Amino acid sequence: MKDLINKIKSSLELTSEAEEFIYSISKEKTFSKGEVLIRQGQAVKKTFFVTNGCLRSFCIDKNGKEHTLLFAIKNWWISDYIAVHTDKLATLTVECLTESSVIEFNAKELDGIHTRFPEFESYQRHNLERHVVSLHKRILNQLQLSAAERYDLFLQQYPDIEQYTRNFHIASYLGITQQSLSRIRVEKVKK
Amino acid sequence: MKALQIVKYGELKKSLAFNEVSKPTAQVNEVLIAVKAAAINPIDKSIILGNLQSLLPIPLPSTSAYDVSGVVVEKGSNVSNFEIGDLVYSRVPQEQMGTLADFVAVTSEAVSKKPGNISFEEAAGLPLAALTALQSLEYANIKANDKVLIHAGSGGVGSFAIQYAKAKGAYVYTTTSTSNLDWVKKLGADRVIDYKTEDYKNIVKNADIVFDTLGKHYSAESFEVVKKGGIVVSVVGALDEESAKMFGIPDYKLPEEIANASKEKNATYKFIFMHPNGAHLNDIKSLIEDDKIKPIVDKIYPFPDAIQAFEHLATGRAKGKIVIKIS
Repeated sequence: MKDLINKIKSSLELTSEAEEFIYSISKEKTFSKGEVLIRQGQAVKKTFFVTNGCLRSFCIDKNGKEHTLLFAIKNWWISDYIAVHTDKLATLTVECLTESSVIEFNAKELDGIHTRFPEFESYQRHNLERHVVSLHKRILNQLQLSAAERYDLFLQQYPDIEQYTRNFHIASYLGITQQSLSRIRVEKVKK
Repeated sequence: MKALQIVKYGELKKSLAFNEVSKPTAQVNEVLIAVKAAAINPIDKSIILGNLQSLLPIPLPSTSAYDVSGVVVEKGSNVSNFEIGDLVYSRVPQEQMGTLADFVAVTSEAVSKKPGNISFEEAAGLPLAALTALQSLEYANIKANDKVLIHAGSGGVGSFAIQYAKAKGAYVYTTTSTSNLDWVKKLGADRVIDYKTEDYKNIVKNADIVFDTLGKHYSAESFEVVKKGGIVVSVVGALDEESAKMFGIPDYKLPEEIANASKEKNATYKFIFMHPNGAHLNDIKSLIEDDKIKPIVDKIYPFPDAIQAFEHLATGRAKGKIVIKIS
């Protein structure tokens, strides 16, 4: 919890009242490997800040295959924002790839924090901007870069992730087959 | 709900019919699966033809098939390892046979989450064949560097056995016909023997394990290539005495030629009867997700064409699994 409070404090002056409120709407939790925090097709009320471990959000297509949207490691947020912001059922599943510690928030309460503490307005907008930038980058990379280039970027973004993930998680994040991922890795070793 | 049922024993076309049946519900230890895909196996054909009436008596009409993939839509009060919405696959136990239907209720111990990197259709083709391969080779205690002969590498069970043995680090010999050589090689076999032009008995020497998926004279003949103290595991040959007892035939004697051949080599002969097992399916899930085993689908039929799928199965020419897409 301290990590999160410090993270917020580095961006805005946090009053003790606001800090207390954050404590009151959150809960520290630890989940074991394989546990599912959000399940596709069900209602979503929570959002999670990761303090330790690694989680993955993915959707399952009509054929039953998984497509990874993102990995969340220490200091990342994870939820199904489509469901949270449109009041629809989850289109994503969020699962723990390792034992993971998170701070669990009621998503609506956290979103509304700026109505009570206006200093959060610019903080939340800034976070949202960064999120939009990162999503646009991911879409553009997917459209214009080769699979090998996308893999390189992925490793820059998540330098230690390979110890937590299976090959099929990474292949499904990059939108390539596991065989292609193996080929790319072999080529990298040769270079 | 709609179900493809065995209405009498005999010719495939006349013995199968689409019937409207009541939707099952999940009992305390069961999950109810909304079926996405089902797969058919040679045993399903044998049951319809009436060849297994004494061994596996079933009431008529009964819904056909054992292999399934789908979504959990209901669970019993004792089920803690699955949630509604889980994507699963299973080889259902004998008494729950009937995966060619919109829904099937299955004891949760026989169910596993399906591999996330393959489709429902690919997953449906796995359970029976992959469990048979895993349970046979694990009974034989397969380990790295073992020399293993797998008879009929292009068959449903053989093709998984090759991949499983390779995943375990074994050296794999297999037999197949000329037209399947390349295909079987791609599955990872180290030495593919064309039985039309080569005699496996001249090529394989001192195998640690022989996996017999052919039966007939192959069961006894396999002892010619197994090492002293080795093991021949069979899924189609004669019962061994222990298995016979299990089937209620206490005075059964192993056929003389197998008994003599195994005695001469001080080797073991074991008949393996595949049993449904969710934990084993979970092991297979990991191997699939790690790309160590690939599902092999021959053809996917829509549900209304399921009887044609059985006719295709009956030709014996399928290379990989025959799958029926239910929804």
